[in-house]
Amino acid sequence: MSTLITLLLACSGPDEGYDAGPEPAVTAPEPALRRLTIRQYQNTVRDLFGEDIVPPSSLEPDATLEGLPSLGAAISSTSPLGVERYEVGAIQLADQRFAGAVDPLPCQPSGVSDTACATAYIEAEGRRIFRRPLSEEEIGQYVGLLTSVASDAADFRAGARFALVAMLQSPAFVYRSEHAAGTLDPFELASRMSYFLWNGPPDEALLAAAEAGELATAEGRSAQVDRMMDDPRFRRGVRDYFIELFQLGGLASLGKDPMVFPNASPELWASAKEQTLYGIEDLVVDRDADYRELMTSRDVWIDRRLAALYGIPAPTLDGFAWATLPEDSGRRGLLGHASVLGLHAHAVSSSATRRGKFMRGTLLCQIVPPPPADVDTSIPEPDDAPTLRDRLQVHQEDPTCAGCHIILDSVGLGLENFDGVGRWRDRENDFPIDPSGVLDGQEFADAVELGAAIASHDNFGPCFADRLASYAIGHLPTDGEEEWIHWLADDFVGNGFHVKRLMRQIAVSDAFAKGGAR
Amino acid sequence: MIRRNFLRGMLGGSAVCVALPWLESTASATGGFPQRFVTWMWANGNRPERWTPMGEGSEWLLSDELMPLMPVKDKVSIVTGLSVLYPNNVPHWSGIGGMLTGAEVGGDDEDWVVHAPTLDQLVAAEVGNGTIYRSLQVGIDTEECFSWNGPNAQNPAEKDPFALYERLFGPTFVEPGSGGLVDPSLGYRRSALDAVMADITRLQNRVGAADRERLEQHLTGVRELELRLARLQDDPPDYEACVRPDSPFPEYPDIDGRPQLIARNAAQNELVAMALACDLTRVVTVQFAKPVGNTLYPDASDGHHNQTHNEPGGQPEVHAITTFCIERFSELVQRLDAIPEGDGTLLDHSICLATTDVSEGRTHSLDEMPVIVAGSGCGNLVMGQHLRYNRLNSNHLGLTLLRGMGLVQGSWGEDAYEVTDGLSELEA
Repeated sequence: MSTLITLLLACSGPDEGYDAGPEPAVTAPEPALRRLTIRQYQNTVRDLFGEDIVPPSSLEPDATLEGLPSLGAAISSTSPLGVERYEVGAIQLADQRFAGAVDPLPCQPSGVSDTACATAYIEAEGRRIFRRPLSEEEIGQYVGLLTSVASDAADFRAGARFALVAMLQSPAFVYRSEHAAGTLDPFELASRMSYFLWNGPPDEALLAAAEAGELATAEGRSAQVDRMMDDPRFRRGVRDYFIELFQLGGLASLGKDPMVFPNASPELWASAKEQTLYGIEDLVVDRDADYRELMTSRDVWIDRRLAALYGIPAPTLDGFAWATLPEDSGRRGLLGHASVLGLHAHAVSSSATRRGKFMRGTLLCQIVPPPPADVDTSIPEPDDAPTLRDRLQVHQEDPTCAGCHIILDSVGLGLENFDGVGRWRDRENDFPIDPSGVLDGQEFADAVELGAAIASHDNFGPCFADRLASYAIGHLPTDGEEEWIHWLADDFVGNGFHVKRLMRQIAVSDAFAKGGAR
Repeated sequence: MIRRNFLRGMLGGSAVCVALPWLESTASATGGFPQRFVTWMWANGNRPERWTPMGEGSEWLLSDELMPLMPVKDKVSIVTGLSVLYPNNVPHWSGIGGMLTGAEVGGDDEDWVVHAPTLDQLVAAEVGNGTIYRSLQVGIDTEECFSWNGPNAQNPAEKDPFALYERLFGPTFVEPGSGGLVDPSLGYRRSALDAVMADITRLQNRVGAADRERLEQHLTGVRELELRLARLQDDPPDYEACVRPDSPFPEYPDIDGRPQLIARNAAQNELVAMALACDLTRVVTVQFAKPVGNTLYPDASDGHHNQTHNEPGGQPEVHAITTFCIERFSELVQRLDAIPEGDGTLLDHSICLATTDVSEGRTHSLDEMPVIVAGSGCGNLVMGQHLRYNRLNSNHLGLTLLRGMGLVQGSWGEDAYEVTDGLSELEA
């Protein structure tokens, strides 16, 4: 994690209207090409060609950096297999585009060598696919491709289709370029804004604003951010960010041993993901509420499957609805979500260490080193030590392990009342579970108090700001950007933890707009 | 702008069993069959005390965990006592990285980075340029593959047998002698790639050094694809053993929460064997499961990685999993040995390396790294042996394999552990 361990913290308080002062100047590192993540590629072709388009079924796997694909996208290259998949995908997309109900051509070609119509098509289609107007050289190249294929095949549309096949494989499509050191051009900025807020390409209005120079001022950017946050695509952008942050993509292939957890199934994990994501969408987009609620709320958006897992009456027979967990359920907020509890566990059991790592790393940005090499990492069998706390005691007694395991397990054991899929239990192997512990000086009796302790931890708000800002700029903040992160965190914490406000603050800031002053 | 068939007529020459760059291959060592290289990785090590064979040299007995190699014992050599001597900073990844890149793995366990390309890519750069696929990466229970062209340039694995089938033997595959029609759109696709390459080159001139290198990797992929389309406009080499295999099932869903490892492995092996027999590629990298992977193996009571750390005592389940993996590798080796090529078999014209990311999973130990070599690579390596060393730098093995594939290689390895000698007992 970047800079947060030594972060100087602002006084946190619910009072809004706190002034974090003027934006500090930043020095940004050399910009990097960002390959579209799989989500971004899918979102992009749907936005370009319509909801009915079927995106390619396989693409180059995302690389991650600190768990975030959007950061890995700025350092990894594309393999030969990835290139092959881009080609297969481009052909499939172009075929669909030209077989669709809407004619992609803006003109009726008079013949296979109608260069005026070819130029009109390349300019219009290319501007959307490259997210910027094409250069003269590019127009010439693609018009040449179109007309040469068209005349060979005696079919203008075949020429246009293969020009589209080429554009969809171009680096101008599959990478977002931010090449100019210190100053993004208006179209690069438009893409930065749209992929941050929508996780998709700029629409015509945003491209037009870029073209008109409106994004050069904070006012101009602010107007666009307002518009974009009111757009349904903002919901997608928020969801996609939290899928990355909480690694919810892992739920699609989460394996649990059916002998131990007969109620686990792909459907359960799909429901669990929706619970978490819709809950966040409601909190962030619809109510713009205090983000700390995520850790403490008793309100859950669930279906019958999750209601059964949580041991409460289903709020609806079909689909999802809101329910309120009983006061004494022991389950609160994100730490009670099946998604988080199931992901950070083993196939046959819970895992205090993994859950501890999630809380420490993802929620509080605290680094925990991996186990040292050449160390026996086994723990005793349940016969000798009935509860996980007893079994993990060996790690606390061995000085090689204790340093890290005390940090991880002390909080991870706070969730031991939830088994490997998130079902409540009072006892393990017939022995009562003791979920109490201490989080950096704050004692907690159980998972409910642990959630509250994390929400009020000094790192909680700044960590969130750091992660979100990293996601927005596509790299881990460097020393020259540290003050900017502090400033964002200060404003976020000082003004009541409103995620929308933080996103706006990032998207309108000079640092974001310029890619760093030089 | 339309380019068609310009390579037609250039591809008729027979390939040979010497590892020269393809276009230079004109001599014939063993009846004109190409030399192949297979890397096969399983996850999370072994139980060392049940791995090392009794006896040395050519007089040795298969151990418990190597017993599945019985049918091909004369065509494998077991190398024990090799160590990855680089710092074990990133459990598992330091081990497989040391074995296959001859270099330290940097970073930490979340964001580690390799420093050098893997053996398969070094070999592919020499012997892979004449085939439709320079190299193939195949996954059984993972899409990740420890195959790297350099830092941050990973080759992912194709895990889905049906997708692999479509890629290799789908509509573009022309069975030898079938006189199939050339798809007219191949030329248009190549013209589209010309435009893509021009775009990449233009962009390279506008970005920093790191991005230029990333785009160079991308450009290499496009050039390979372009060449592949050119070759598809020609007939592939006419090998007797080459036939279009049966299509695998469209899906291999998990059963009771467990992957169908035996069926997936068999389907992928058949495609790999035929891809080699048809000379679609000469370099294959198979990742059975990924390092630190938690695959639920048949009859195991927990995921593999968990079991290596948590199973007490002599770890009978971990042992059973290792044996299961070696059985899957043996199946591939037997399949290659069942394909006749001239006086020998495809296996005789191949070098297959099977290895993993640690020795004892419980301690992440990098001593006693498990190594199986199968196939003499046209007689360049001596099979049927157990070679026993004492904490010997594993880079000696890598150098031997590269030389066995015909690479002119003076040394291999990074920094203090660079070596200039191979394993003389393994070299013919």
